[in-house]
Amino acid sequence: MDTGESVRITLRSIRAHKLRSALTVVGVVIGIASVITFATFGASVEAEIVGDIETSNAGNIYVFGTPAGDDDFDRTLQPVFTEYDIQQLEEIAGVQAVLPRGIVQTQSVRHGNQTLARQQVTAVRPASFTQGVLVEGRSFGADEEAVVVNERMAGSFSENLTTGERLTMTMPDGGERNVTVVGVVNGTRGEVPVSEFARQPRVYVPIDPFYESVVESPSVGVRQRAYPQVTLVIDPREIPETQSAIQTYLSGESDARSLSADDTELVARSGNDFVEEISDVIERITRFVTGIAVIALVVGAIGIANVMLVSVTERTREIGIMKAVGARNRDVMQVFLVEAALLGTIGSLLGVPLGLLVGYGATRYAEVTFSLAPLWMGLAVGVGVLVGVVAGLYPAWRAARVDPIDALRHE
Amino acid sequence: MSESANTTVRVDGVSKQYDLGGTVTALDDVSLDLSAGSYTAVMGPSGSGKSTLLNLIGGLDTPSSGQVVVNGQDVSAASEAERADIRGTEVGFVFQTFNLMPRLTAVENVALPLVFDGWDRTRRRERAASLLSSVGLGDRTDHVPAELSGGQRQRVAIARALSTDPALILADEPTGNVDTDTGAQILDLFDALHAAGNTFLLVTHERHVAERAERIVHVEDGHIRSVEDVSGGQH
Repeated sequence: MDTGESVRITLRSIRAHKLRSALTVVGVVIGIASVITFATFGASVEAEIVGDIETSNAGNIYVFGTPAGDDDFDRTLQPVFTEYDIQQLEEIAGVQAVLPRGIVQTQSVRHGNQTLARQQVTAVRPASFTQGVLVEGRSFGADEEAVVVNERMAGSFSENLTTGERLTMTMPDGGERNVTVVGVVNGTRGEVPVSEFARQPRVYVPIDPFYESVVESPSVGVRQRAYPQVTLVIDPREIPETQSAIQTYLSGESDARSLSADDTELVARSGNDFVEEISDVIERITRFVTGIAVIALVVGAIGIANVMLVSVTERTREIGIMKAVGARNRDVMQVFLVEAALLGTIGSLLGVPLGLLVGYGATRYAEVTFSLAPLWMGLAVGVGVLVGVVAGLYPAWRAARVDPIDALRHE
Repeated sequence: MSESANTTVRVDGVSKQYDLGGTVTALDDVSLDLSAGSYTAVMGPSGSGKSTLLNLIGGLDTPSSGQVVVNGQDVSAASEAERADIRGTEVGFVFQTFNLMPRLTAVENVALPLVFDGWDRTRRRERAASLLSSVGLGDRTDHVPAELSGGQRQRVAIARALSTDPALILADEPTGNVDTDTGAQILDLFDALHAAGNTFLLVTHERHVAERAERIVHVEDGHIRSVEDVSGGQH
């Protein structure tokens, strides 16, 4: 049967039942729009985070320990990388800089008459601050009684902190240390990428004299500073070779190996490894949430099936007429499948822009850059049509099987 | 096709049983030939089996036993799809209740059999429009059935029955839903179409309608009781 004619018959039928058809379409619109919204939002978040990490951390290798069972997070922060390890890592070919990072516990940080309790202070080398991250001021020198704060920290006080102002840090033993703010930064070189989405207020201090975590180095037998995490800046052209050399050192003769529990794995991850892991996590979350939205689509499909069954019953006599004038079963089936597919298609065509609009709103609200998920959009339209066809199959099959003699007697 | 070339319909020893709790015999060993260009009326009280006979000849139903051949095609042995094609091209139905598609215009209704026969849209419309003119509805082509009178609707149905130029026109109580004057006009139209060479089989329970035909087949309790020749054709 001529498809144009079945579309014409269908359009007349839809027009004759405007409200019913519109409500059915709304069901599909909601389903498609939810899928598009979540998929688009997920893709936007992923693109934003991955973009951040890729631009700023391409040549970084992050070294830390992960316990076999992930249940004890504290153990990942054990200070096991000694000064000896750092010297050894610096000598690996391709390594351009080694940036150890430690945590200094404080009771509080005070500025003027305002006190912030329980601030984590990060101990870093001056090399962690490049021109790129400095917003104002300068980096501290080694063994200088000075600090650098990030913008969040600067904004945490009622009067914004600026360079030259004084901070008082209360140490766990109750002692106080007065320091001068010499710079404000918007991040540090070698920061582990996952910390980028939890931009906490931070105070950075020079390792010397603030960082006091020491252990006895098994290799050289003297007490040395040791760090829970080290970042290596490496030649971007030699990432795979350098990464495996670092990994070999860590798993072999390193102090960190000797100092770590046997079930702790010492890993050297590149920025790309993080990108992959994070993308993977976000994709899984997106797929899960989108999967929930698919339920809405299934409900839409049930709506189509329901309306089609009603339509078949109402149009039994028409089916009889069509059969009496030469319609084969598949012609009758076609008329009803076209109607169901058309409802699904209209739903998709309206649902996609609506979903994009809501997705765009969500990205604006979450302050991430809007990215399209073209694959999902194509998929959603395809699924919408398919939903219509599948939902219409049974009603259409029922229509095709109608006995023409009974149908012609039907009132 | 052993029968003579001008036999349009051959019904040979046809029986039809329905299983409605018990077995009901609607037709019992009925044989009937319709020659090309003939005009036959089937008369009988309701439940006599006359509608069943019409449905079997028209390919809407299949006999329990016996053979129905329409224009050389064995309807009784045809598959469902083949019967659909026979309904579309070999026979044209005219019903008591018109049975027009309510949301299609007159011209679209007349063109509907041509859709299933695979004609393209332009040719369909041309053919349908000229048929509507020939039944006197040239000015009503774009009206839907609800905008037409009973007589006009039945004329649309007649134009539709003619659209594929079928070998046989089957009319089931065609005047049953219209007033006497309109009924007479419809029967006049049948006469004209018969004169133009069309073969008619008309089912009715009204004597004056049946008398328009060349012969009357009386059906009762699933049997043909008698075949009456109408002298002079018209009353």
